[in-house]
Amino acid sequence: MNKDLKRGGMILGSILLLFFTYSCGTPEQRAINVPEPDSTAANARPTHPAGTGLHFVEIKDMKFQPESLSVKKGDTVMWTNHDIVTHDITEEKSKAWTSGPLAPGQSWSLVVTESADYYCSIHLVMKGKLTVQ
Amino acid sequence: MKIKQSIAMLSTFAIVCGALLCMPAIGQTNTKLTDPEIASVAVTANQIDIEYAQIAKKKSTNADVLKFAETMAKDHQSVIDQAVALAKKLGVTPKNNATTKSFLAGAVKTRAMLNSKKGNAFNKAYIDNEVAYHKAAINEVENVLIPDATNSELKSLLQSALPLFKTHLAHAEMVQKEFNK
Repeated sequence: MNKDLKRGGMILGSILLLFFTYSCGTPEQRAINVPEPDSTAANARPTHPAGTGLHFVEIKDMKFQPESLSVKKGDTVMWTNHDIVTHDITEEKSKAWTSGPLAPGQSWSLVVTESADYYCSIHLVMKGKLTVQ
Repeated sequence: MKIKQSIAMLSTFAIVCGALLCMPAIGQTNTKLTDPEIASVAVTANQIDIEYAQIAKKKSTNADVLKFAETMAKDHQSVIDQAVALAKKLGVTPKNNATTKSFLAGAVKTRAMLNSKKGNAFNKAYIDNEVAYHKAAINEVENVLIPDATNSELKSLLQSALPLFKTHLAHAEMVQKEFNK
């Protein structure tokens, strides 16, 4: 009887845990309007394995804030456009990666594997920097 | 004799009074713009730059000029869309005023000037005008429209547009260097 109660409690606990995980995680991911211009972007969703870092860059007042960011290899950086116009985030030297057009309110993320200078290819004077430590 | 003196004194008094009465009228040239007038200036100023961009897209073949013109057309349309949406939400009908008329009169002359030029002369004229126009627009937004706006949402939209126009100016100055070598 005691064993049955314990087993029942464990099953109920697992169900509650699963439900809680689902209800907490899913809406957050839905709220992030992430365009997927390429496979890199798909891999860059904030579902990275535990242990890797997540950094945020706000695009506000026509600036990347912070403009310069130090990260560890494999960390995820998420940009969110808070401005009133469309921006993009594009690797500057060889256009190795780009977010594509990012409308106001949208976010985009990238798993960083190497240092890079980036810019907005729509507003050429907007620049940012990622440094892999 | 005394009557003559009295008439002269009365005339002087009348002139002084008249001048004093006129002074507030002179001061009225600095009258604050109302929110409907500000909405009109904002929409008009953005629309004018879209029209300059449309001329550039027709006449220029320079990649940097075309890219800049494309950005101007999209960004200024975005500001207009938001200004119109806000005016609608607030139940405000944009109202023409002296500033709007001044912007429009300047635009007629500038469009004629741009349409009269070709090739590199056009590119230089377009980008020089963009630099000057954005400087004037920034001054207007910063020193007139934002201080005069009473509705907080309208003020906030203007405050968001200010860094946008400053970035446009920096972009225009960057392209301008190409034609001043």
